[in-house]
Amino acid sequence: MKCLLIASESAEVLFHWSDREYRQSIQEKYGVSSNSLFQLPAFEDILSTLFAPIIISCSTLEDSYTSFTTENNHIYVLHQFDECLYIAVNGDGEEKEDDLRRKLYVLKKMVEVMFGMVTLSGNLLRKELRPQDTEQRARLWKYLQSLLDTYSLLRENDQSFLVEAVERLIHPQLCELCIEFLERRLVQQLNSSVERAGEEVLHAFVLVHTKLLAFYSSRNASILTPSDLLALIVMAQNMYPSNVDLDDMSPEDADSTSGSGPETFYTPEPSPSSRSSSSSEKAGRGETPVFEFVDPEIQMAEDSLHTLEINPPDPASPRRVFLEVLHKDGLYPMMPHSMYCLSLWPGITLVLLTKISSSALAISVYKYLEDFDKLEKRLHEGHGGPASARSPLNMQDIRSKMDKFIKSLEPHDLQYAQLQNVWAEFKSRAFSRAGSGFNKDLIPWCKNMKTQLCGIYRQCFLTDSLSADVTHRLSAGLQERAQAMVREKLVDWKDFLLVKSKRNITMVSYLEDFPGLVHFICVDRATGQMIAPSLSIAERTTSELGKGPVANYIKNKVWALVRTTRRYLQKGYSTVTLRDGDFYFCYFLWFENETGYKLQPVDIPVLADDSPPIGMLAYDYYSRLLKYYSKNHKGENVKCYELLTVHLGVIPTEIILQHCRQLASKLWEPSRNPLL
Amino acid sequence: MAELKPPDTRRCRYFFLYDGSKVRGEGDPTRDGICYFYPEETPVDKQDLLCGQLAGVGRCVSELSSSAVRILRLRRCKFAIRIKDDFFWALGCSMELPTVSVCELLDHLINLFCFYNGSVRQSYQLNSKETLATEWARYLSHVLSGPSELHYILQSVRTLDLTNVDPLLLLKAALILQACQRCPLVLAGCILFRGRVVSTQMPPQLTIKVMVHESETFTKTQRSSGTSTPPSDGGLVSSTAVFLTPSELQYLQSAPVDKISSSYSAPEKDTPPKKTRLSRTLSDTPSSESTPSRPASCQSPQRASFSPCTSGSEDSVFSPAPSQGSSADSPNLSPLSPIRRFSNGGNADQAEEGTLDESHYHSLHSDGGGVSQMPSEGDGSAFEESLHLNGGAASETTDCGNAASRDEKTAVGVGGVCCRKAKGHKAETRQPPSGSCSFDSLEESPLVPMALYMHRVNSLVLALLVDPRFMGDSASMEEVNHSSLASLNGLEAHLRTVSPVAPDAAGAYLFAHYDSVQSTLTTNVSGRPGGVPEHPFVRATSLLHSHFFDTETLQEAIIRNAGTAVYGTRSVAQETYFQQHWGTMRNSGIPNQQDSAFSLPSKARHRLLKHGVKLL
Repeated sequence: MKCLLIASESAEVLFHWSDREYRQSIQEKYGVSSNSLFQLPAFEDILSTLFAPIIISCSTLEDSYTSFTTENNHIYVLHQFDECLYIAVNGDGEEKEDDLRRKLYVLKKMVEVMFGMVTLSGNLLRKELRPQDTEQRARLWKYLQSLLDTYSLLRENDQSFLVEAVERLIHPQLCELCIEFLERRLVQQLNSSVERAGEEVLHAFVLVHTKLLAFYSSRNASILTPSDLLALIVMAQNMYPSNVDLDDMSPEDADSTSGSGPETFYTPEPSPSSRSSSSSEKAGRGETPVFEFVDPEIQMAEDSLHTLEINPPDPASPRRVFLEVLHKDGLYPMMPHSMYCLSLWPGITLVLLTKISSSALAISVYKYLEDFDKLEKRLHEGHGGPASARSPLNMQDIRSKMDKFIKSLEPHDLQYAQLQNVWAEFKSRAFSRAGSGFNKDLIPWCKNMKTQLCGIYRQCFLTDSLSADVTHRLSAGLQERAQAMVREKLVDWKDFLLVKSKRNITMVSYLEDFPGLVHFICVDRATGQMIAPSLSIAERTTSELGKGPVANYIKNKVWALVRTTRRYLQKGYSTVTLRDGDFYFCYFLWFENETGYKLQPVDIPVLADDSPPIGMLAYDYYSRLLKYYSKNHKGENVKCYELLTVHLGVIPTEIILQHCRQLASKLWEPSRNPLL
Repeated sequence: MAELKPPDTRRCRYFFLYDGSKVRGEGDPTRDGICYFYPEETPVDKQDLLCGQLAGVGRCVSELSSSAVRILRLRRCKFAIRIKDDFFWALGCSMELPTVSVCELLDHLINLFCFYNGSVRQSYQLNSKETLATEWARYLSHVLSGPSELHYILQSVRTLDLTNVDPLLLLKAALILQACQRCPLVLAGCILFRGRVVSTQMPPQLTIKVMVHESETFTKTQRSSGTSTPPSDGGLVSSTAVFLTPSELQYLQSAPVDKISSSYSAPEKDTPPKKTRLSRTLSDTPSSESTPSRPASCQSPQRASFSPCTSGSEDSVFSPAPSQGSSADSPNLSPLSPIRRFSNGGNADQAEEGTLDESHYHSLHSDGGGVSQMPSEGDGSAFEESLHLNGGAASETTDCGNAASRDEKTAVGVGGVCCRKAKGHKAETRQPPSGSCSFDSLEESPLVPMALYMHRVNSLVLALLVDPRFMGDSASMEEVNHSSLASLNGLEAHLRTVSPVAPDAAGAYLFAHYDSVQSTLTTNVSGRPGGVPEHPFVRATSLLHSHFFDTETLQEAIIRNAGTAVYGTRSVAQETYFQQHWGTMRNSGIPNQQDSAFSLPSKARHRLLKHGVKLL
C-alpha cells in the first residue's frame, strides 16, 4: 500500500508511482464512487480526482500541510517543491513518516539529476514531467518509477543506502591497482581519442554491485559530491540491477551465465515490443509491469504504438545527468554531464562521466538565472530596483553581457527567437525612458526571462539526450574498447570481487577484540563514506549472524536504530544510548580536525519535524552541519564521524563504552584505515 | 539551519468544533457549522478558512484511507482530530508537544464535555451555541491550566504530596468514602483538598473529570439540571448532573463486588451474576465486530483498566506506590496475573478495533512487541504463556469472546495488576491512543445520566458519584451526610495543619516520575520562569516519552547534546526522566567511559530515592 505522486497546483498529476495494493484500493474506491461498470479512466486521472481536494486545499492555506495520519495508520506526507506538490502515502506500516519524506526528497533529487535547471521553471518542468505524447510519457514515468523501485530496494537492503554514504571495497592493493589503471590507461586513452566527439572524461569508477572498487577523477575535474555519486549509483543499479538470486549463486554458477551481457538477467517482459523499447532500463526483477492496471484495450493500443517505434534507444547512447560542479569562481549546481554505464560482468559496472562540449553555456545560463532571480527578489522587497541594490552598474553589466550571450547563441531556432524577443521587451521596459524602470511591474518580465533561459538550457541539454544524436558522444567503438580494456584488467579478479562485495568486512574479525558486539556502522561524513560488517539476510547466504530470522531481526533493529538516531540528531542530540529488548545501542557523532584531535562539541541546530531528511543523498545535511561547525573553527579542516553499535544487553555498560571508544579510534587509525 | 527557539508559551493554538451537518448546500456559509472556535478573538474569516479547509481535507483523507483521520500536521502546528458523525473536532498545539499527548488532550476535552453535558448532538439540540461555547471554554481552560509543559506531556491527576501526609489521614479518607458507599445509591467517591486528590475510588480519568467541577463550584452558578441543597452544619452541599459511559458505569458498579470476592482466598470463585451475564453476551456472539456485542465487549476490559483501587480492602486508598502490592497479598495470584493482564489488554484493543478494519487490527497485533515488556516484571513462565495467548488472540477476532470469558473467570480481585497491563498495552496501539476506551463517550452506546454530589467543608470536598434518585431520597442523603460529616470536619482540620512543602528547589537535578497506572506525576519541574532553565529537560522528556510510546521494547535511554544529558527509563507502569546539572560538561562527543552522561542511571537511582522513586 504505497503511493507517491507529483501534482501541479491545478491538481494535474505530473508523475505517480504506486504498488499494486494501492492501485487496487484506489480503483475500488473510485469504482464505488463513480459507479462506472465500464471502463476506468487512466490511473493518473483517478488519482487526480481523488486527491484534488487535498491538493487544492494546500494552496489555499497559508501554513502548508506536512502530514496526515489516520486511525488505521495510513500516513500521508506532503511537501511543496516550488510549484509542484509531492505526496507520499503508506498504508502498510512498512514506512514511517520520515521514510516517506525521504522518498519525496529522493524523487526530487532524481528529477533534478534528470532535468537540471529545467526544474527551476515550474512551467517547463510540468511539460517535461508530463509530456503530451502519451507514449513518451509512459516511457518517462516508467523510467522514474523503476528508479524509485531501485532506490526503495537499496534503502531497504543496502547499508550504504541506509546511512546514505558510499561503501568502498576494502582491498587496498586492488583498489590502488585499479585507480592507476583508470588514470594511466583508460581515461588517458579515451581523452586522447578522436572518437570522443568533443566530450571529455572527467570521472571514471568501477562499481561492484553498489560498492565502489575504484574511483578516478581527472585533474581538472571538480569533486563529485557524495549526493551525486549516490544518485549515480542508484541509476547504475537501475540500469544493471543486481539480481538477488544470482548473487547467492556460487561464482561457478555465475560463470556459466557471464559474458552474454546484461540482457540474460532480465525476466522477459510480457509484451515483446515493450521489452525492446526499454532494453536499457530495468525491466524485470519479478515484479508486475507498472502499467498493469491499464485496460486491455488501451494496452493493445500502446503495444501497437511500441511496434511502430522503429529505433529503440541505442544502448550506446549516454544518459544526460546534471551534477553539481565546483569551479574556481563558485558553485554551479546542475551542470550537464553524460553518463556512460558499461556493464563489465553482471554485478560489475564501469561508469564514465564526461563533460559535454557545450557545458560552458550552462554556466552562463546559471549566472543569468541567478541575476534575474536576485533582481526579482529585490523588486519584491520593494527596493526600487538596482539603484538601491549593490550598484546601478550591476544591471548595465548584465545588460551588455546578456546582449553578447544572445549573439553567441545559434540564431536559427524558435527558442532563440523567443529569448531575444523577451529580452528586447525587458530592456525596453527596464532601461528606456518610456519604460517603467525598475519596479514591481518588472517582476513578470523577470520571471519570463528566467523561463526563457531555462528554455534555452532545455533546448541545449535535454532534447539532445533523448534523440540518438550520434555525433555528440563517445563513439560506440570507443565505448566497447573501454569496456574490453577494463574487462581484461579485472578478469582474474572478477569472482573474487563478486564475493568480496558480499563480504566486504565481516563481524568475525572483530569478535575476539569486542566480545558482545553484534554489529556496527562507522561513517566518515566529510568524505561521505561508510564501513560496516556485511549484513546479508538472503536465505542462501550464511553470515555470522546466521541466516533467516535472526539476521533479519538484527537487520530490522539496525534499520530502526538509524531512524531513531536521526530523529534525535534532528532535535540536536549527538549522543544516544538505548537499552531495547536484549540489545544495547549506541550512537555517537563527533568532530575531529585533520590530525585526529577531537574537537569540542557545539549545540547542533534543532530542526523542525518537516525539515529535509538527515542524510546525504537527497539533501546533504552533513555538509551543512560541517559548514555550521566550521564557523567557529576557521582555517581548520573539520571532519565529522558517526559510530553506531549494537551490543548484547548483558554486556556491562562500561565495557560497551570502552568498545565504542576503541572502535572509534581503531577504525580511523592510518595504519588500519580501510577507507584509504 | 534554524536556531534554538524559545519555548512556546501558548501550547494550544486552536481548538474548534465544526458541525458538518449545518453546511450541506452549496450556499451554506462555513461559519454556520462552527460550533466553537478558540481563540475566540480569531477573525471570522480565518475561522472559516481553517475550519473549512481542515474539515474538508480531513474528510477527503478519511475517505481515501477508509479510516478517520487522527493527526493533521501543518508546518507550524499539529492538530489532533476527532470525527464523529458530522462533528469534527480539532485541537492544534505547538510542534514541541508529543503527538500522543495532543491526541490525549483532545480526547480528554471531549470526554469532559460529555461527562457534564451528555451527548454532543443532544446538547446542541437543547442548548444554544453560545451557552455551550462557554462550556467548551471552561473545559479548555481547565485542560490547559497545568503549571508547566511537562503536565501536558504527561497528563496526570494532581495529588497531595503523600510523602508529607500522615498515612493515617489517608486511611481515614478511605474509610469515609467506604462509609458513604454503604448507601446503595452511592457509586463511588473521592476526597479532594485544595484541588488535590486525597483519596479516590474512581479511575484516574474519572477523578480528573470530577475535579473540574470541584474547582469551579464556587464560581459557577448551579446548572439547570442540578439541584442545590441549603448548606447544613457548616458544609456546602451541591450537586450536578453528569453522564457516565457504560464502561465507566460498569466499572464503578463492579468495584464493590470485586472487593467482596477478593476477600475470598480463591480468585477463581464464582463471578457475580451481573458479570456472568456479560460473559454470556460475549460468548453468545461469535464476532466482536457485530454491533450488538460491541458495547458489551468494551465493558469488560474497561473494568480491568480502571481497577487500580479495587483490589483488597485497601483499595480505596489512593497511594502512589505501585498497586502491585495488593495482589502480592495473595501470592497464589501473582503467577497468573501476567496472563490475565494480557488477555485484558488484548481484549481491550479488540473491543476498540471492532470499529476499525481488519488489516489495521492485525497490523497492530502482529507487532507482538508488547510481550517483551514482560521480562521486566520477572516471571518467565508466565511470560511464555502470555506470549502464546497473545498470538492466539491476535489471530482470530472471534477469540474475543473466549478471551473475555477466560479473563472474566480470573480477573476478579487482581485489578491492581490488570490495569497496569491494560495501560501498558495502550502504548502498543501507537498512533491512535484509543487503546483504553479513552474516547468511549463517542461510542455508540448511550451515556448514562448520573449525579455528582459534592459536600464542601472549607478546603475539603467530598465528591460522590450517585444515582440520580439519590438527590431525591432525603433518607439516603441524610445517612451519607451523617456518616461522613464529623469525619470530614476532622480530616479537614488535620489536613489544614499539614504545612505545604516548598517545592524542591530544582538545583542539582531535574526529574519527572510518571505513574501511568494512577496517572500521577512527581516532579521538581516548576514551570516557573527564572532559576535553572527547565526547557531543555522538558524538550528531552517530550522526545523520550514519544519514543517510549512508539517502541514498546525500549527500556532506557540516554540522550545528550553539547549542554545537557537526560536519562529516561520506563517499566510497565512508570516512566522516569532525570537530568543532572553539571558545572562543566564539555567533552568531545566521542565515546568515552568517563563521560558524565553515562553515570546518570546510577545518579538517578540514588537521588530519586528521597522522592520515593525506586528505580531498579
